[in-house]
Amino acid sequence: MIIPRTIRRFKERREFKDSPYAHLFETYKGDEVVSLDCETTSLDVKKGEILSIGAVRIRGRRVITSERLDIKLKPPASLTGDSIKIHKIRASDLADGIEIDDALEQVLEFVGNRPILGYYVNYDIKMLDKYIRAKYGFSLPNKAIELSHVYHDIIKWKSVGGDVDLRFDTISKKLDIPIIQRHTALGDAITVALMYVRLKFGAPLAE
Amino acid sequence: MSESFNMDNLPFSLLSAKEQALLNNNLDIAYFQKGETIIAAGEVPEGVFIVLKGKVGESDGSEALDQDAAAASVFVHYQDEDYFGGWSVLNGKAIHNFIAVEETICHVLPTRILMDLIHSNPLFADYFQQNLTAKREIVAQHSQNQDMAEFMLARIEDGTIREPLIVLEGTSLFEATRLMREMKADCVLAKKGNRYGMITGTDLLDAVIIKGLSLESDVSDIASYRLISTTPQDYLFNALIMMTQQQIERVVVMDDQELVGIVELTDVLSHFSSHSHVIGLRVERAQTIEDLREASKGLTDLIKALISTGVKIRFTMELLAAMNGRIIAKLFELVIPRDLKPHVCLIVMGSEGRGEQIMKTDQDNGLIFREGLEWPEMPAVMSKFSETLISFGFPPCPGNIMVSNPEWVNSTGNWATKLTKWSQKFDGESVMKLAIAVDGKPVAGNAALFKVARNAFLRTLRSNEIFFSHFAKASLNFDTPLTFFGNLKDKGMLDIKKGGIFPIVHGIRTMALEHRILETNTFKRIEALVEMDQMRKKHGENIAEALSLFVQIRLKHQIQRVEESKDGIDPTPNAIDLQRLNKLERDLLRDALRIVKDFKKHLASRYHIGS
Repeated sequence: MIIPRTIRRFKERREFKDSPYAHLFETYKGDEVVSLDCETTSLDVKKGEILSIGAVRIRGRRVITSERLDIKLKPPASLTGDSIKIHKIRASDLADGIEIDDALEQVLEFVGNRPILGYYVNYDIKMLDKYIRAKYGFSLPNKAIELSHVYHDIIKWKSVGGDVDLRFDTISKKLDIPIIQRHTALGDAITVALMYVRLKFGAPLAE
Repeated sequence: MSESFNMDNLPFSLLSAKEQALLNNNLDIAYFQKGETIIAAGEVPEGVFIVLKGKVGESDGSEALDQDAAAASVFVHYQDEDYFGGWSVLNGKAIHNFIAVEETICHVLPTRILMDLIHSNPLFADYFQQNLTAKREIVAQHSQNQDMAEFMLARIEDGTIREPLIVLEGTSLFEATRLMREMKADCVLAKKGNRYGMITGTDLLDAVIIKGLSLESDVSDIASYRLISTTPQDYLFNALIMMTQQQIERVVVMDDQELVGIVELTDVLSHFSSHSHVIGLRVERAQTIEDLREASKGLTDLIKALISTGVKIRFTMELLAAMNGRIIAKLFELVIPRDLKPHVCLIVMGSEGRGEQIMKTDQDNGLIFREGLEWPEMPAVMSKFSETLISFGFPPCPGNIMVSNPEWVNSTGNWATKLTKWSQKFDGESVMKLAIAVDGKPVAGNAALFKVARNAFLRTLRSNEIFFSHFAKASLNFDTPLTFFGNLKDKGMLDIKKGGIFPIVHGIRTMALEHRILETNTFKRIEALVEMDQMRKKHGENIAEALSLFVQIRLKHQIQRVEESKDGIDPTPNAIDLQRLNKLERDLLRDALRIVKDFKKHLASRYHIGS
């Protein structure tokens, strides 16, 4: 999976060299990371549709919640019972939502060429790619940082031979990070950002 | 982030919705490792920090060179939604170091936004900038609504439902009037078939005087049968509205067609006001020790009622001191033969003498008698007096400072000599005894005897610098622990008497003694000191406010413990359980303890006490 993505990125970088989106393909040199999360109607990328997008920037060891993205979209047709139960977003909650095209513009503007951090981040990126590819003809070229990998790399030394529990709630508990608001895009993005900062800069984990 | 930032805490709850949104949109979250410096002394802080998780210590900038010294000099801890750095921001520069004691996550409110909020919201600005007195005032204003809410929520059945006086159809006006007098009722219900009709005193007067009916007329003929009724579950507040609208003074309480009783306007109005005058009357009217015992039982309920209705603690204390004083004085009158009264004087000392006790604290009392009085039964009568007080629920004094102990029963001359002797010895016991004695106040018998003895003692004291230095020293005996907030996870018990109350009370007592202030109450002593220019007004107010906060918090804990214990006894009356403090109480307590610390510094330099 990784190799095709790299090759595609090279190819698209050349293709979009003169477009307004060229800067997205440049290698990022700063110290910021964007923590991003989407709430969707299904965990299947093909069927799912985006309901809301939340993102915050991380600068060094600080979560810049004052610079954030908190987007609600127009309710899609696939918004039905099952997903509502999980994220508790009803069609009426999205009454003042915006069009997906506007949302994508805001996301690209906010994220730029910074690395994207998330919990099972490939899902969120694929979800966004589905729409971005249709509209712009390229996929998000950003480096992806998977929180559970960062966590796993640190924790695995301590639990040799055993499986590492990578559930969201377990990680937040292990790291002693308060869960800001589970199952809202922005809340999850902030919680993941805090977990990331804690893993990157914090003291070694206790058993 | 409204999700993670709690707007319910003061001072943020003072902000309008728009201001809260502004705050929300500008908060960042910062992560600090253990030992990391968040604000360094001398630097310009970037804003106010609000702890989301973790713990931060504030320490003196000068001593923070190596880590151990830094840990030792920490004087305040912040955690759990506490905020810090406000002072530094407003002054442009931090004078202390703020260091993460453990891993810490903080919300950061940038200086620029804080300034905007301070400019747009005067109350918020006040809370942020002001001293303890102002803060407590803001808190008090904001809790008034709560009392109002409680008032609104009280139900008819919580109040006093009066049992109605019921007469049957055919009862004469004369008989009805006689019954009302006998039962001390001011209205009567006449039963006619299945219906009830009400007759008030005014109705009876009108019937006889204006309409000229005979005294034998049927009372049911003048009753009004269109009764306004309510149910036991209805709100007391609704009954009040009903009475106001209908311009009546009584409503009938019906529970599903069944007559329960009558609620009177006066009862509704007095439901939330204190019943102190009632207890006071019963104490005055008591003819026997038993009567008095019954009357004194009401005091505990009165305390609770006063506290729950939010009456200012200082006035609650004054009222209770007065009530306790009356009970003690009345008992003294019942026990002492009448002809001896001009020759003896009962004094109460310690907290009772200062009028600062709330729950019944130990009895500290003594007797002063005229020189040369011959009264062989005195020891027996005094023992009976002490025992009776114990049976009233005034615990015996552990130091045995009671009239049953001959050491505390003295002639005027001996009493003055004793006080003088204590003031010349500098051992702990003498200092404590003198401290208790100089708070003495006459409550029964001949007060002139007390004054004679006191004045004789004060003359010997003059301006004895050595004495005052030694006397004042006791107020520095115990540490005032500002770091205890950090121990929240441990057992976290604070002895509020040692840490806060005693240093203030004793320090003020020393100053009052030096300036010959005859008041015994600490608040009044402070006022007198301010009046004499011995203390700045602002300092006096802050010290008084700190003391009343300590007393209030202590009382709250005492009431909780008494209610939880099986035997109704509180074994640790001065312990403050930190787990039970809410965020606001912690904030205020911290400010108050700082005031104590400053006051102690002042005492040390004023009376040349080296450490």
